[in-house]
Amino acid sequence: MTAIPELSPARSRRLPSALRGTLADPGVFIATVIVIIFVSVGLLAPFLPLQSPYLQGGQAFAPPSAEHWLGTDEFGRDLFSRVLFGIRQDALVGVIAVPIGALMGILLGLASGLNRILDAVLQRILDVSLAFSSLVMGIVVAAIVGAGIEAVLITVALVNVPLFGRLTRSAVRSQQVRDYVTAARVTGAGPIRVLVRHVLPNAVDALIVQAALSLSIAVFIEGAMSFVGIGVRPPEPSLGSLLRSSSSFLAIAPLYAIAPMVILTALVLCFNVIGDGLNRRLLRR
Amino acid sequence: MIPLLSVRDLVTTFHTSDGPVQAVRGVSFDLSAGETLAIVGESGSGKSVTATSLMNMVRAPGRIESGSITFKGVDVLAKSRDELRQMRGAAMSMIFQDPVAALDPLMRIRDQLGEAIRAHSAISASAANARAIELMHQVGIPDPEARLRDYPLAFSGGMSQRVMIAMALANDPEVIIADEPTTALDVTVQAQILDVLDTLNRDRGTAVILITHNLGVVAQLCQRVAVMYGGKIVETGPTAEVFANPQHPYTRDLLAATPKLSQPRDVPLVAISGRPPTMREPIIGCSYAPRDPLAVARCFVEAPALEPGEGARRHACWVSDGTTSLPPRPELGLEIDQAPRAAAPRGAALLQVADLTKQFDGPRARAFGRRQQVRAVDGVTFDVHQGETLGLVGESGCGKSTIAKLVLGVESPTGGSIRYAGQDSTVLSAAARRRYNRNVQIVFQNPMSALNPRRTVGSMLSEPLALQGMRGQELRDRRDALLELVGMDASIANRFPHEFSGGQRQRLVIARALAVDPQLIVCDEAVAALDVSLQAQIINLLKELQTRLGLSYLFIGHDLATVRHIADRIMVMYLGQIVEQGTAEQVTGNPQHPYTVSLLSAVPDPDPSALSRQRVILQGEVPTPLNPPSGCRFHTRCPIGPTMRTDREICRTEKPTADPEAEHGVACHFAGEFTLVGSGSSAPISADVPHGLGPVRQTTRKTLQ
Repeated sequence: MTAIPELSPARSRRLPSALRGTLADPGVFIATVIVIIFVSVGLLAPFLPLQSPYLQGGQAFAPPSAEHWLGTDEFGRDLFSRVLFGIRQDALVGVIAVPIGALMGILLGLASGLNRILDAVLQRILDVSLAFSSLVMGIVVAAIVGAGIEAVLITVALVNVPLFGRLTRSAVRSQQVRDYVTAARVTGAGPIRVLVRHVLPNAVDALIVQAALSLSIAVFIEGAMSFVGIGVRPPEPSLGSLLRSSSSFLAIAPLYAIAPMVILTALVLCFNVIGDGLNRRLLRR
Repeated sequence: MIPLLSVRDLVTTFHTSDGPVQAVRGVSFDLSAGETLAIVGESGSGKSVTATSLMNMVRAPGRIESGSITFKGVDVLAKSRDELRQMRGAAMSMIFQDPVAALDPLMRIRDQLGEAIRAHSAISASAANARAIELMHQVGIPDPEARLRDYPLAFSGGMSQRVMIAMALANDPEVIIADEPTTALDVTVQAQILDVLDTLNRDRGTAVILITHNLGVVAQLCQRVAVMYGGKIVETGPTAEVFANPQHPYTRDLLAATPKLSQPRDVPLVAISGRPPTMREPIIGCSYAPRDPLAVARCFVEAPALEPGEGARRHACWVSDGTTSLPPRPELGLEIDQAPRAAAPRGAALLQVADLTKQFDGPRARAFGRRQQVRAVDGVTFDVHQGETLGLVGESGCGKSTIAKLVLGVESPTGGSIRYAGQDSTVLSAAARRRYNRNVQIVFQNPMSALNPRRTVGSMLSEPLALQGMRGQELRDRRDALLELVGMDASIANRFPHEFSGGQRQRLVIARALAVDPQLIVCDEAVAALDVSLQAQIINLLKELQTRLGLSYLFIGHDLATVRHIADRIMVMYLGQIVEQGTAEQVTGNPQHPYTVSLLSAVPDPDPSALSRQRVILQGEVPTPLNPPSGCRFHTRCPIGPTMRTDREICRTEKPTADPEAEHGVACHFAGEFTLVGSGSSAPISADVPHGLGPVRQTTRKTLQ
């Protein structure tokens, strides 16, 4: 019988307004702007008036100039163009692999809610996959499908399955004992309908927060895999592969390493800031 | 004489991100040394915030905006942090609603009590231990020496609250502020805790400020009462006088809305229409005017001040003159005839439950050992007839909610049978259960968790209709008809549950249950989470729907006074078994089982005439169902059982049974020996029980000055 909850009714449960509210946080706002700029520039790279990222023959390690904003690399390729195309790889990993992994995880998590035996089996499988570090997973995948962007995509998807699976399952478990779920069951809703119409909408908050964090993981895994040489391979540019090739020339051309490093760090950081902001707004009420 | 504590024009506001909430809007009162004052009000009235303001403990975003609080002549609001710390716990201390949450689970009782003792006095650990034992003794914790080493986990709710009181007492405070100290407890335990507070006040002269919503508790413990509404005190005075002749319409209506055992069943409960102010907007005029049919024009434009009335009484009302009693609240035509229907011939048995048993797997006693079995429901037999309301009453843990789930079909019984309309419905396949639930529905206790926060009212109601195959206009018409049936406007279909108050939400829950056209509705504590003024609305709605639709109810509750108002017949449950069943009149007017008698006598009643009645205070709490007592399960607490009379070994060895066919069945070897003489009001207890000994104490309420 405390007075305060009754006095300040819960904020609107409509999601869009909560997302808008999250953007009111200055940190989240700046992070979102940075992410939008990077991702759109990356995705639009082929359509921008840029030099080809593969064109060799210019001066190697040229300093920044009007022609080459970030200078050139060891083969005289335009670094600015290579960085933008590099972001493109990371953006593609985030846009393609994370949703695939998330979808698989959510489906497995919901399936856990249907049957106790199925639940036990699925959870042990997720336990095992959680036990692999993402880099070990990357090595296994690269050994099977060969190094390349495909290996990165598969790894990121696989790493995300248990994350989303666990989250969805815990939401299912906590929602299934709620009175409104019982009410839906006794007014005639079947188990799948209950999961999709009543349980899932109430798990969306947590899933959105996880999605933001997963994007950060995706960028990180791409960087790590490409850096050790099992991800995107030269001459294809990616933030990770740029870091790998620049590492030999740190003394001569520091900008070569700094540019992809700053962007990679910025992306990871921004996704984390957005995730935290969403977490504060959506989950900790 | 200078009052101990003096509050003047206190204003406390919460600056939330959604705008300011003015919780307390100018409260003034005095407390003399050794006095007991109740601050009573419904949720949102500002009573709890007033209490926290007294110790200057309002947490951000809340802030005391203006006013003064003077304790023994010193301004509390001007004290420094250190001075406040010295005052809290030593001169003034506080007890909270949820004792289990207020104790640190990782600290032994000895250390928690020791911390409270040594915070204000520099004494040795052994001296603190001795003091802790003394305190535990005072609050009635048996065997304090042994229990000092226990963790809070080992204490039940009632015992935890005693520990909290012991902590509050540690430094001999002059005032104890008790914020809903018994709300989380069962009624028999509530009676014990109130007794502890009463004894403290009498023996040590500790002043008590009791914050509560329960008028009965006020009448039992407090000499003076202040009624709060809309952030202000609307009426104050000696409890007996205020309750006998309320001078503010809110006090009058609150009293009339409270179910009372001292009144005959056919006195209707007054339903207060409307809802309390939200405290966000400024209130113009009297905060209660919009809900008072007798309000005059002045009430809407000018706020009445707290005017002195007769003697020590004050009231803030333009209509009342301070002496003549207010006219009763006029019925607005919406209210239906609430008199219990004449004993119509009972319809056919709709639901027949026989020997129902439910076991749950408990913990294992040792590794690889067998799991202990918890018998939540143990051999329960009853019928619900067409068009009747069967009340099921018991304390927490007695198995009444398990019965709700079994009857609803979402849990399967371990033994026994459930027949619905003559058909065996004991264990149902998923498809059969869906058909069964077309007839049997549920209304939950907490309307907050019973509505999906992500779905609009419309989509929530449409779902069951669409599942029955309705579409388009037909579905929308039926949905609107359902809303109208529960007294809601059809235009709210696009709104979300959080936009509604508790009472409105409970109406929506009822509308959803009605969507499948059921015949039997299980009401599991359906009004327990609502404020008193809303309880009556929902009870009236349920009665109205019963008349219009011919519904049957299984009405489960812990409060006998409430259940008595709605039920035709009542069953009383103790530890998984029915101890007494009969018509509402029989069970509440002429109870035969000692448990029913004690339960009835423990229900606090606001009626001043009920104060003189003797009360039985059962000692101890409900034993764990993991290891229930042998024979009669009540024998460990029974006022006429083997702990009181050595010749009654039969209660330990032989389980008494009630005849389920009898109109008034009692499961007791000595049924009828321990009874309330007469019915309801002022009923002395007739059994030659030694006073103040053993598991029972009889107390007579001290006369009010």
